[in-house]
Amino acid sequence: MDNLKVRFLNLKIICYYTGCIIIGIALLMVIPLVTSLVSSEWNPVLDFLISIAITTIAGLLLLIIGRETRENKIFVQWKHGFIVAALSWIILMVLSAIPYKLSGHNNSLLDSCFDVMSGFTTTGLVLTQDLDHISLGLNMWRHILTFVGGQGMVVLALSFLVKENSGAYKLYVGEAKDIGLVPNVKGTARIIWKISMVYLIAGTSALWINGMLIGLEPIPAFFHGLFMFASSWSTGGFAPNTQNIMYYHSFSYEIVTLVFFLLGSLNFGIHYTIWQGNKKEIIKNIETQSFMITVFLSSVFLVIALSKIYPDSISVFRRIVYNVLSAHTTTGLGNIYARQFALEWGDFGILIMIIAMLIGGSACSTAGGFKGLRVGVIFKSIVSDVRKLLSSERNMRIYKYHHIKDYVLEDGAVKSSALIIICYIVTFTIGTALGTYYGYSFVDSAFEAASVTGNVGLSIGVTSMSMPSVMKVYYIIVMYLGRLEFLSVFALIGYLLGGIKRLCLKIRES
Amino acid sequence: MLKNSRILILIFLISISFTVTCVASDNITKINDLIEKSASLNNTVITMQGEVIGEALERGEYAWINVNDTTNAIGIWVKQSDVDRIRFYGDYKHKGDIVKVTGVFYKSCPEHGGDVDIHSTHIDIVETGHEVTEEISHTKVLVTAVLFIIMLILFRLFRHKNK
Repeated sequence: MDNLKVRFLNLKIICYYTGCIIIGIALLMVIPLVTSLVSSEWNPVLDFLISIAITTIAGLLLLIIGRETRENKIFVQWKHGFIVAALSWIILMVLSAIPYKLSGHNNSLLDSCFDVMSGFTTTGLVLTQDLDHISLGLNMWRHILTFVGGQGMVVLALSFLVKENSGAYKLYVGEAKDIGLVPNVKGTARIIWKISMVYLIAGTSALWINGMLIGLEPIPAFFHGLFMFASSWSTGGFAPNTQNIMYYHSFSYEIVTLVFFLLGSLNFGIHYTIWQGNKKEIIKNIETQSFMITVFLSSVFLVIALSKIYPDSISVFRRIVYNVLSAHTTTGLGNIYARQFALEWGDFGILIMIIAMLIGGSACSTAGGFKGLRVGVIFKSIVSDVRKLLSSERNMRIYKYHHIKDYVLEDGAVKSSALIIICYIVTFTIGTALGTYYGYSFVDSAFEAASVTGNVGLSIGVTSMSMPSVMKVYYIIVMYLGRLEFLSVFALIGYLLGGIKRLCLKIRES
Repeated sequence: MLKNSRILILIFLISISFTVTCVASDNITKINDLIEKSASLNNTVITMQGEVIGEALERGEYAWINVNDTTNAIGIWVKQSDVDRIRFYGDYKHKGDIVKVTGVFYKSCPEHGGDVDIHSTHIDIVETGHEVTEEISHTKVLVTAVLFIIMLILFRLFRHKNK
């Protein structure tokens, strides 16, 4: 009986916090609703009203089920944090897909869910059809999803909705953000949002002005600026038009987005430390060192290999370096057509892009991939092991790495880094195999699988409406796994399997 | 007699070649085909047709327009005087003008930082666009009303349980 009570209590805790996060998303839907109202887009107004109502109903039901959590201030355990994070992402994917489906621009709910997961995980792959004719409200929703997904929906809920501080850290870590900027986790979540809001104002203003200078009218220039900032800062890769960043035909516009996606790919801890006045952190940090080295090497290799394709150095920078940086920061803004990668870049170019996409940006940032920190830690451990082999057995040396503060390089850190990298490589391999099974070439399958695994969003042409449903579902799962860095999802699967096992035993006993 | 037949053959050949040229220039290439065959079509005169979308981006005496032919969209570098002839640009509320563009295709334009673009030499407005009138679905209105009633009942229940 006691065991049953504990299980119900677990369920109530999960329901309560998931309900809070869902209510948060229902409130966010008010922004595209107002956008559509102001723009006199009446069908999208109805779409968002329906979506708000369904989302609020779902959130309220969960809050009512879990109300005991709030009344009795029940202690939240690690498993709850992971399960709430993983479960809310799945529920929110379906709820946030409602405006997409109602708009008529998606062929199926699966396609809508694909685009929502792509937005939430800041991937940027698109199945929505006829982007050039979608409403301003739906475009606003697409870019809000990618912006909020970048900072984290749990982080958002913690900042504004969850009053209880105990256990908040467990929810926060569940969303693959494990940095403590200040001792209080709610304070950390708020700092993350403050940093993002300051950049939002600066970035939107910069792109707005730039937009007017390149020929956009003031009001469209504002919305383009806002959307492209959201996409760049969150390393998302969405754009309001079919041509992505190519729509603007502007070097300066590309440069501004480049600055913001590079900033977005940095760890929030580094942003905060620099804001506190410690500017040397950016050079000393193992994560930025690793990132700079891999960015430099991939850019140099590709420039050497591909410079003959492009007529001058500006073209080389715009078409090669921009796309490499976009891939490495897992942004996915592309200023060449998807098929040009396959047709012009060759196997070597694609290989380098795959490596860059898999490495990705920084931990606790808006970027995906297996992260520069883990690459740095693994590299440092290899170097330290080689040094140990070469030095005298009497000579005991402690190896350290710097990430905001100094850490001793312990086996535990190396093991957990290696484990996550292995998980990424396994999902990438399965994705590649699945693509080849469905008849896509090995190179195309590998490129697309790397893009999905690293939450990048660049496409070589595989992702399309006509893609097999199995691949769409697999890509959704991989985007989700990649963004939550596996642990939370494994916790959710474990919880569900445990529940099923207990249920089976109970049936057998009876 | 021989002279007359030679003239007739010449006229026939000229008219054939003229017809072939006309057909060739009328041969519309899809954007995705341009990209797939970019190596062979690079720096050649092509014709494409599609809907003008978004807005014109004015750059001095020239401007960029973006044209979508349902397979993809591409930037067209056009004279400002041609832009002035375009009335509607496609977006949520508008169906844009359908234009037929003849121009030089570049797979990596030396003038525009390696852009994939078309430098227009001639533009025809094939079909003028129009405003799109929204038809409001009565089912959607009804569903919205029902869902909001359920939402308000649940909200009251939630408030009541929390007291």
